[in-house]
Amino acid sequence: MNILTKPWLWSCVAAALAYALILGLTSGRGAGELAYAALSFGAFAAIVGLGQMLVITLGPGNVDLSIPATMTLAATLALKAMGTDPGTAVLGLGIALAVGFGVGVANYALIYLLRLPPIIATLAASLIYQSLAIWSNRGLRIKPPEGLADFATGRFLGLPNVTWVGLLLAIVVWIALERSVWGRWLLATGQNMRVARLAGVPVELVRASTYISVSVFAALAGYLLASFSGGAALNMGAEYLLMSIAVVVIGGSSIAGGNSNVPGVWGAALFMFLVVSMLNSYGAGAGARNVLTGAIIIGIVIAASTRRART
Amino acid sequence: MTISRMLLGAASLAMAAGLAQAESHASATADKRIALSNNYAGNSWRQAMLQTWEEVGEQAVADGMLAAADAYTTAENQATEQAAQIQNMILQGYDAIVLNAASPTALNGAVKEACDAGVTVVSFDGIVTEPCAWRIAVDFAAMGEEQVEYLATRLSDGGNLLEIRGLAGVFVDDEISKGIHEGVAEHDQFEIVGSVHGDWAQDVSQKAVAGILPSLPEITGVVTQGGDGYGAAQAFKAAGRPTPLIVLGNRQDELKWWAEQRDANGYETLSLSIAPGVASLALWVAQQVLAGEEVPKDLTVPFLKITQDTLDDALANTPEGSVANVTYTLDDAKQVIADAK
Repeated sequence: MNILTKPWLWSCVAAALAYALILGLTSGRGAGELAYAALSFGAFAAIVGLGQMLVITLGPGNVDLSIPATMTLAATLALKAMGTDPGTAVLGLGIALAVGFGVGVANYALIYLLRLPPIIATLAASLIYQSLAIWSNRGLRIKPPEGLADFATGRFLGLPNVTWVGLLLAIVVWIALERSVWGRWLLATGQNMRVARLAGVPVELVRASTYISVSVFAALAGYLLASFSGGAALNMGAEYLLMSIAVVVIGGSSIAGGNSNVPGVWGAALFMFLVVSMLNSYGAGAGARNVLTGAIIIGIVIAASTRRART
Repeated sequence: MTISRMLLGAASLAMAAGLAQAESHASATADKRIALSNNYAGNSWRQAMLQTWEEVGEQAVADGMLAAADAYTTAENQATEQAAQIQNMILQGYDAIVLNAASPTALNGAVKEACDAGVTVVSFDGIVTEPCAWRIAVDFAAMGEEQVEYLATRLSDGGNLLEIRGLAGVFVDDEISKGIHEGVAEHDQFEIVGSVHGDWAQDVSQKAVAGILPSLPEITGVVTQGGDGYGAAQAFKAAGRPTPLIVLGNRQDELKWWAEQRDANGYETLSLSIAPGVASLALWVAQQVLAGEEVPKDLTVPFLKITQDTLDDALANTPEGSVANVTYTLDDAKQVIADAK
């Protein structure tokens, strides 16, 4: 199979190009610094993007719009419980993941029991999660315990720790999709739910586990981001709503579902950070930056989809 | 003797008249209901603002100054949604609406409807341009200019500045940035070599600064808009660069960081922002309008400045993770009104 037919290639090419363009401006200065920053900040987008990719793979109409609220709620509750006390990092992680699990169950319950379209269900539920986050701590920024903050901002073998977490999750998701029965079920459900059900795939189980996965991923990303940036803020998840969908689409996964792409999500996550950095470095104003970012995204999606059509 | 007695009599008469007047003002608004229409609640500044409103409003009701001071916040920060909210408030029969608007122009229609229905509208922070409403504005441009003036006193040789802006397309962001650029034009030893949007959030600022730093020369100062200074400091630290002079924006984590740096290496800077308590000022201004006082349509609030000398006090009075605040009283409101006349 030709490498050019891989839909994930284009996001990686675009990321490399943006990287090269910044280094062209600085004539090579700060190369390591920039790559390190891209890997750090890209990791958060990659983690939520992986979750969103699983949901989008479920087929048309499936998307989780509660990701920002889930991140905020999980991070707020976890940091409040830890209260900056040393040695509570595991407790905080447990709370964050439990919040993610609970949110996923609640989202799926709304979708399944009330037969609500996922877009409506997750959007409406996100208002509740956001309100819970406001109510629980009224927006006060509590610092993470020092050990946890050091871990979130630290590095191992030259790479940021959060990048290792993101890469590990990417590998787990890749194995689950490509090598497990669950992955086959997910792809079959996304390609045609009716056919999958008739073929004996436990469709509702697949959907439930997918909606729980995305929330757990979002909760983990929120926990890490709050630890990384010195506390949970009520608006900390805001930019990850469109970001999570953008990295899936740019990464070469089919927006119609049934076709997912793990390496592309990471490529796109790096690209989304680098393209903003590039336009900032070249001094583009906010308006020009938004227009250019949009145009570049459309370009990549077209490139990735025409290549796929030819195969 | 007689003269002094006469004077005393006149003074006591004047005092009695003053008291009667104060009494009548209190009773004049005792049955008035004020609503707060707020467009956004999703950050610590707005949460502190709502809390101040709640405290001051409850006290005013308990003291018999007002019949009600209810707060309403829209869920989606949309002008259309807030316009509908204002229309509901008119129907609910509120006597005054205190407004922190999602847009300076998009709500004018709803505000005009309220005025036509005899409702007093006082906008603050996010003000509206409709002439029938009162405006309690912050001189945001001066806030930007003051930052550069402060930098000029500290860094006489000038140098490269990094500008962190707020949310693109918002009035406040344009105004502060305009002030900063005017300041730089005046003090031409400074040059803005980079500009990023930090959305007034520490994590977004940290990300944006980390992305642009590799392409920048040495930075001597960072001009900000509030809520972004700590994130900028983290990004400089992560990149292994020396910490420049960062102007801060009164958030508790910024003040704490400042105090730590000061104790460690004598770091000096300035912190300035608008106190969320400006909501309480708006409440009293609305009360004054309802009481029949003559209040100019355009009022200005001072911003809250924290210097090296007041840092410890400010830090002690600011709750963990919140933002430095001032609660305005009825007398403060009268002072602001008198200043504007």
